[in-house]
Amino acid sequence: MVANLQNLKAPTEADFHQAISACSGRWYSACLKITRDPELAADAVQDALLNAWQKRHQFDNAARLETWIHRIVINAALQRLRKLRPGVLQSLGTEIPDSSNTPHGAHADSVIHASLSAALAGLTDIERVCFVLKHLEEWRLSEIAGELGTNVGAVKQAVFRAVRKLRVDLSTLRSEPA
Amino acid sequence: MNDESLLLYYFDDGLSDRERHEIEASLAADASLASRYAGLCAQLDAWNGTPTTPLPEQLLHRWHHSIAAAARQERARRRNPVRSVNLPSFAWGAVISAALALVIGIGINRTADESVRPAFEVGVEAGAAPVAVTSRAVFERSMELYLRDARQDLTMLGAQPADDRMLLVRQIIEQNRLFERTAANNDAQDLARVLRAFEPILLRLAADDVAPADAEALRVQLAFELDVMLTKLGRDTSKQATST
Repeated sequence: MVANLQNLKAPTEADFHQAISACSGRWYSACLKITRDPELAADAVQDALLNAWQKRHQFDNAARLETWIHRIVINAALQRLRKLRPGVLQSLGTEIPDSSNTPHGAHADSVIHASLSAALAGLTDIERVCFVLKHLEEWRLSEIAGELGTNVGAVKQAVFRAVRKLRVDLSTLRSEPA
Repeated sequence: MNDESLLLYYFDDGLSDRERHEIEASLAADASLASRYAGLCAQLDAWNGTPTTPLPEQLLHRWHHSIAAAARQERARRRNPVRSVNLPSFAWGAVISAALALVIGIGINRTADESVRPAFEVGVEAGAAPVAVTSRAVFERSMELYLRDARQDLTMLGAQPADDRMLLVRQIIEQNRLFERTAANNDAQDLARVLRAFEPILLRLAADDVAPADAEALRVQLAFELDVMLTKLGRDTSKQATST
């Protein structure tokens, strides 16, 4: 009972400020990878912080506040992306053209993409979101599918395409003469 | 065995137990497959180490401010549940809004001939395609948020208890110094000077012995500066929109 009561102790304003100082760079960076838009990313962090503040009484003290907020931040970024481009995350079932096979192709793209963050820009929204959530945020495939309203198979395919394109882009770049 | 199976094996997700055991057995039996898998792991691990994007300092301030404002609103509601307006949130909302408005106003003039120059870049490794963010866009966004509080509460600061008022003004001074440093760090010395000019007014407001009439005059002065800069900002923004 005592433990339960302790777990119900909500984080204070000071806890939030501490979390912001320590982790907001990581939150912003994650949002930026998902949205590719600095303003959207900043707004997503802001939404998430206020949302977390409102719901802080639901926070379980057994978890880390930073991690709890991080998850809310990611959801806020997805919401912002959905709002900006409605339907973009619902088209997982359809095959998406592979841009590396277009006339402009992997070679041109890879010259531009000198880092992973830049190479992510070469992915479609769906591929990028699934890759970021799976690989960088370490969500389970089933969690991603649930969040995006699709099935695990479709998420797997999006992650496969993303990794394939990234490997081509980044390895081609490495083989470019200086 | 294809890379997709190896990828799921790496993620430890999306495979049945039987599939996992099959992959394990294949990796143990086939040296070339094990080598291919090691290469895949190395690449994926390297991507995990992607550095965090540098965080613009003004965003950090904006988020701290949001939480501080939300907390103040809550405290105000608890103190006076029937009062619908958040009185204590006025002060630094107004001052920072005014400061930001000044910053933007000057920034617009200063960068009129270089309006597309990015203030900072995301993904700045050599050869990367950066995502450019103009300082103006960021400041405008922040200002909008602060202005909302300021417009609502500006005229009601005088109704605050003296202790709350002093506490708020001290917070404003600290925040103003942060913005001043941000401007200086971004090579915007003019902006830093403008923000510095706010401090004497704020210090007078925070003084124990300031007479109510004087405090009111200072608040009015601040409100006036805010309105002037808002007007100027609106004019400059519409000018830019027309010219583009």
